Amino acid sequence: MAEVYVEEFMSPGCVGCPQVKEMLKILSEELSGEITVEEVDITIDTTRASQYGIMSVPALAINGELKFMGVPKKEELKKALQEELNKDE
Amino acid sequence: MAQDKKEKRTGIFICHCGKNIAGGVDIKVLLESSRKFEGVAFVTDNKFSCSEEGQIAIQDAIKDNGLNRIIVVACDPSLHLLTFQHCGKKLGIDPAFVDLIDIRKWTMFGSPNKVDEKQALVNSQRLIEQAAKRMRLKRIIPKVTVEVNPSVLVIGAGVAGLEASLDLADKGYKVHLVERLPTIGGKMALLYKVFPTNDCAPCILAPKTAYANIHPNINLLTNSEVTTVEGHIGNFSVVVNQKPRYVDDKKCTGCGLCVEKCPIKVVDNEYSRGIGERKAIYIPYDQAIPRKAVIDAQNCLYFQKGACRLCEKVCPAQAIDFKQEPKAIELKAGAIIAATGFDEYNPARKVEYGYKRYGNVITQFQLARLLDIDGPTKGRLLRPTDEREPYSIAMIQCVGSRDENANGYCSTVCCMYALKHAQIIKEMVLPDTQVYICYIDMRTTGKGFEEYYKRTRDIGVNFIHGRPAEVIENPKTKNLILKVEDSDIGEFFRLEADLVVLSCTTVPSKGTKQLAGLLGVNLDKNGFFKEVHPKLRPVETNVRGVYICGSAQGPKDIPDSIVQAKAAASCADSELRKGKIELPELVVKLSRSN
Repeated sequence: MAEVYVEEFMSPGCVGCPQVKEMLKILSEELSGEITVEEVDITIDTTRASQYGIMSVPALAINGELKFMGVPKKEELKKALQEELNKDE
Repeated sequence: MAQDKKEKRTGIFICHCGKNIAGGVDIKVLLESSRKFEGVAFVTDNKFSCSEEGQIAIQDAIKDNGLNRIIVVACDPSLHLLTFQHCGKKLGIDPAFVDLIDIRKWTMFGSPNKVDEKQALVNSQRLIEQAAKRMRLKRIIPKVTVEVNPSVLVIGAGVAGLEASLDLADKGYKVHLVERLPTIGGKMALLYKVFPTNDCAPCILAPKTAYANIHPNINLLTNSEVTTVEGHIGNFSVVVNQKPRYVDDKKCTGCGLCVEKCPIKVVDNEYSRGIGERKAIYIPYDQAIPRKAVIDAQNCLYFQKGACRLCEKVCPAQAIDFKQEPKAIELKAGAIIAATGFDEYNPARKVEYGYKRYGNVITQFQLARLLDIDGPTKGRLLRPTDEREPYSIAMIQCVGSRDENANGYCSTVCCMYALKHAQIIKEMVLPDTQVYICYIDMRTTGKGFEEYYKRTRDIGVNFIHGRPAEVIENPKTKNLILKVEDSDIGEFFRLEADLVVLSCTTVPSKGTKQLAGLLGVNLDKNGFFKEVHPKLRPVETNVRGVYICGSAQGPKDIPDSIVQAKAAASCADSELRKGKIELPELVVKLSRSN
């Protein structure tokens, strides 16, 4: 089955992060394929965030590639996830 | 992309790092839990993964188990990721499929992020699980190679910025040297003399400023500030805002006639540190480079009231141009060096010392201007309230530094410049004046510095081992009374001085924070630019292609600034001379919403 691994970079006080989390939850139900979301708290895993060059949260890396900074539009995020799912097949 | 088709076989190598990791987390449990993750074909531990033996062990494991992805669980990727990428590359593993994850920060004794063993295990397991998953799903991202623009932007034309610029310009790069003030040379030009040789500061600086001014590869932009920075290493697009001088610098000969005739006098905060005056049109100081007049529009009669224009009338070269507008200059640069220097700490915050409240309390920088034979008083040391020579001078060390209520760090230079001024006063200016230095510790660690300290003691400067609690002014005589304890003899006493000089620490210069924002560079907790690694990579920043040097990185003296400037120039050179640069594989495509 096609798989996508999403790293959601967030922090405890982040305003946009719950919105992104919700969006990912809805999309993982909408799209066929396995979408795993890992929440990366940048206040704990600082190294990972700095490797990607992340300066603000929320930020999303899909299959190890930084794709979004800020809250993405739902369609854009859906498109990016779909692209990755297609690649995997 | 061939590897994508193959079965994904990940090897996990957990490093003990001696006892640094093994001492803080249970490696056995970590090994067991790591085996369970999907795609993981091999798990082992090494005593030192980065050692030659450790690398051979990794390579053997790759060969024996047909691994095509490796995760090393050890230290910070900024330290060793390249080591392991090279190690994998030898056996045909793309660097994208080599990861180094840092768990040492949680386990090593003395690490600021150290947690207990249980928590370290939980954290490490989570990180390994994430990495294993990422490795399994990750694809090779096409490499992006960019052409490099063989030019460098240097921000700040103090001694560090000048040195870096000259080094790079001599190597053949085009250097855009941007300076906020109308003249180059920075703070060093205002120091009068420098320790430990007591050389004349402007005299030893002048060869550098003069050469930078005429160097064919240096594009000197004074009175300018960087306003926009975009792009990445090899191709930065920069916009510099050049403020108007209101004097055509091509026509101005620097004769000074306009300065003579200008009717407006204002306090000179920049070049005389508030001690002397300058006119509304001024040439910063005698050896200023470029030696061109500049109009201070805030105080100029024409700009404020629409009258005067005397300078325009007397200028023999017709260089005055009131119609000049700010210019936005667009530049391309392959690398950026930030050398924005320091400011003196504002001692008015230490209310107990009475700076700004009592007329005869000044700072060491102001004293340097007073002692300078080309300074505002032409080298006559007179105390500000009554313009008479002081019979006794007390210097207070560590003002604003090594202080829980101000800055925790040591300024590294205030011991030495206090000694320097004490020597100048005793030997050249007022030999009969008593000089007292109230200190916590004398930190004279540089080459020739301890001898300098001893010499200062030998010529009769008095040292008091204690920081004064308070300075009080005698309202009649304007003399100052210091309450101080000499801990060497264990006695409190009151010391009366005609002049008190505060040895202030250095703080990041105004605008450092703003510039850091433009460049995307991190600052440390004291507001100085933060280096990648304090010991091993002291001039590189978190942004590849942006380097730092001089006092903008942390307090330091001139020789250290020069060394760092040369290092920063060398770092920029080693990236730029490649001609083409491969961008890091982690960040390739970015969609920005909002």
